[in-house]
Parts: sequence; structure tokens; C-alpha cells
Amino acid sequence: MKRLTILFFLLSIVFAVNAQKYMTKNGYIGFYSHTPMEDIKGDNNQVAGVLDISTGEMVFQALIKSFRFDRALMEEHFNENYMESDKFPKSGFKGKITNLSSVNFSKNGIYDVTVEGDLTIRDATNKISTKGTIEVVTGGLNANSKFNISPEDYKINIPGVVREKIAKNLEVTVTMKYTPLENK
Amino acid sequence: MKTYVKIALFFVSFIALSGILAALYMYNLKHTDMAKAEPDFVISALVLQKAFEDDETAASTRYINKILEVTGTIASVKPAENNILSISLVTGSDLSSVICTFPAIADPSKFMNGDQITLRGECSGFLLDVLLNNCAVIEDKK
Repeated sequence: MKRLTILFFLLSIVFAVNAQKYMTKNGYIGFYSHTPMEDIKGDNNQVAGVLDISTGEMVFQALIKSFRFDRALMEEHFNENYMESDKFPKSGFKGKITNLSSVNFSKNGIYDVTVEGDLTIRDATNKISTKGTIEVVTGGLNANSKFNISPEDYKINIPGVVREKIAKNLEVTVTMKYTPLENK
Repeated sequence: MKTYVKIALFFVSFIALSGILAALYMYNLKHTDMAKAEPDFVISALVLQKAFEDDETAASTRYINKILEVTGTIASVKPAENNILSISLVTGSDLSSVICTFPAIADPSKFMNGDQITLRGECSGFLLDVLLNNCAVIEDKK
């Protein structure tokens, strides 16, 4: 995770040519669990992300404590019991757009993309591949993706008593509105 | 029914009911109302950001999960989906600031860059910026 932070910081440091790097500090990641017993929804609007359009590299980091839930008790259980956010404060993704050449960054429009990379939650890292879209708009880029993850893959231990309340697969939604990283 | 049985039954029912009500209360509890909460620290955005920049570990121990009342100048206002608003405060650093994220707010347009503002929120931690959540604007300090 420390390497990811350093890489992330390096990607966002101002270098000579920045026209290729896009950034957001209020990206959105939400997850949704649906079971007959209970619906659980967590929303994080403080995701920091960088997209390099020259290489297709995409990196983002999220604070676990920034995930907000409707009910305070649910948020407490999420942080203290499942995610142990004092021990593992951040979650991150490091990957790239695999079909970069199919996106025309100079032409406004919506482009289908595939993104592959490493997703780290707690101290577990798994390779994921997901489909999404990049929307080129005037002054920025919007990236959207939906994918599923299984809590067990990330060593999220769910006690048997509540196992039925949490879905086997959580639906994760990512929405990033990037703006160009400018020279300061 | 004998009197003592009635009394015992009453007592048991009362305790059971109290237990159920308490559990329901806890289950449905929403987040702390920041407008009414007592802050753990009253601090300027400049000082707060510098604390994390100088020693992230020490600042994390000191400020994370605490209620911070932060004063500063608005650097930027960013609305997001679902009536979420993020306000960035000016700090000593160009790259790193203090960001407060709000649940639904009445009128985001009343916050202008350059305005002085006092915000109260829970400190979630530090990515590139100090991040606060469940924020409320403290009106009488403006």
C-alpha cells in the first residue's frame, strides 16, 4: 500500500508535460449488497484518482473511513468489524485501460473500455478486469464502471450469524470525473 | 394469578421491552448532528494540513475519528451526484488541502471561493488532502 501511495503521489506531481494527466479528488465509489434480509449501501465521494491518457494508466485510492452509510451503527460495524479500518485505512487500484487506442481523447463522446489491474482491499490484492466507459467532455473525462467483488477474496471475514445479511457478491460502482492536471 | 407472579411478569416484560426499544434505537441511529456536536479540536485549515504533512502518523493518531472545527478560506466548491458537496479549504500547500464533504445541502451557490468559513466534521484521514466527512457549516462563526 505504501508503494501505491508513492506511485500515486509521483503520478500527480507536476512534471514538464501535464497535458496527458487527469486527476480527481472527489471521485465516487459505491458498493451495494442486496439480500432478502437487508440492503446495504456504502458511498465514498472522496476518492483520489489519476488517469494518464498517454499510457492508459489508472490509479485511485480511497479512505475506508470515507465510506458513508445511512445508519451510524452499520458504518461502525463496517469500519471496526469487517474492514478494520484503523489497521487498513486505505483501499486502492492500480491498472490500465487495455484498449487505449480505441479512445479518441480529442473527440467528445462515450467510448467503451476494458480496464485491468490490481485491486487492494485490506491487505489482499486481486487482479480484476472490468468493462466501463470513458466519456470525453469539454474540459475533462468521465470514467464509469460497475463490477462485482466477493468479500471473501479480500479476507473480509463475515461471521456466520450475519452471513445471510450480506450478498455473496457486492456490486461496486465507480464514477470519476477527471479534470486536467495543470502546471502550477 | 398470584400477585408476585404478576409483578414478576410485569418486570420481565418491562426489561424485554426496554431491551427491544434500545436495540431499535441503536439500529436506526443516524450520524451525529455536527451543528450540535462539541468539537474535539478547533483548528485552522493551514495548521491542520501542515500537521499531516509534517508527521502523518502523529497527526493521524491525534485527529482521525475526532470531531474537528476547521476555519479557513474556501479554495473551491465541488458539487457531486446525490446532493453531495465538497468544499476545499486554502492551506499552505498548492497540492494538498483540507476537503470537507457534506450530505445534501440547501444551496451550494452561497459558498464562493475566497469566503471565510467554519466547518465542523469528523476527520476520516489523509490521502493527498486531509479529509473530513459528515460536515456542517457553523453559521454563527462566519
